[in-house]
Amino acid sequence: MSKRKKIRVLVAKPGLDSHDRGVKIVARALRDAGMEVIYTGLRQTPEQIVAAAMQEDVDVLALSILSGAHMSLLPAITGLMKKNGMDDVLVLAGGIIPEEDVPILKEEGIADVFGPGTPTDEIVRYIQEKIG
Amino acid sequence: MEEGALRYLDKIDKMGGVVKGIETGFFQKEIADSAYNYQKDIEKGNKIIAGVNEYQTEDKWIPVELLRVNPEVENIQIDRVKTLKNERDNGKVKDSLARLRRDIDSNANLMPAMIEAVKSYATLGEICSLLKEMYGDYQELIVI
Repeated sequence: MSKRKKIRVLVAKPGLDSHDRGVKIVARALRDAGMEVIYTGLRQTPEQIVAAAMQEDVDVLALSILSGAHMSLLPAITGLMKKNGMDDVLVLAGGIIPEEDVPILKEEGIADVFGPGTPTDEIVRYIQEKIG
Repeated sequence: MEEGALRYLDKIDKMGGVVKGIETGFFQKEIADSAYNYQKDIEKGNKIIAGVNEYQTEDKWIPVELLRVNPEVENIQIDRVKTLKNERDNGKVKDSLARLRRDIDSNANLMPAMIEAVKSYATLGEICSLLKEMYGDYQELIVI
């Protein structure tokens, strides 16, 4: 792991949602685990997020959404990524996402969904296993 | 505790006050630090919260009925705005927004112009867009 270049992660908040306590905790946990973390800030459009992920050439895109609009915004993001040939980017989601929406989001290209109560270590390990 | 609070307020005064503190990201950093440490304490078990990291019940999931908003609602609302824009007196809307623009320019009290704009059925979007155009948008200082 340590011989490879650092894992690059873009942490982003799509849509009209200003709940950033969780996203900032996750961002810092990933950074403390040795990853290079870029955070977009609040209220980003799918286009802005995908453009940032492309520019920053990230390995992982971690999306935080608590507004309830995940079923429209997350597929919009993965759709744009497919269009741009970014199939190698691991896309994760977190926030308030009902269990029954998870399988549908996985079909749309979200690798996994981490809800409230997920220990930050679990997210770190998950990324390291998939990318490392 | 009182002493601690006063010391903290003193510190904020010395850095130039609350606005300065927001501009430099001091408060954002303080909140993020405290949130992160709180989470770490829960994960390490230094802080016990019944039902979260200790004393959990066996059955993990209690089914909750979710409110699902019909996606059709979006189209209904779009149609309503379109109808409104067709049926209102658009000359009046234009005039009221022009007045609001002038009042922003001359640094006047904006409330009368905004009330006039609302009464002429200018939309919230139209009023906010004008304010954003004239004043700019909030630029978040990214602090993690």
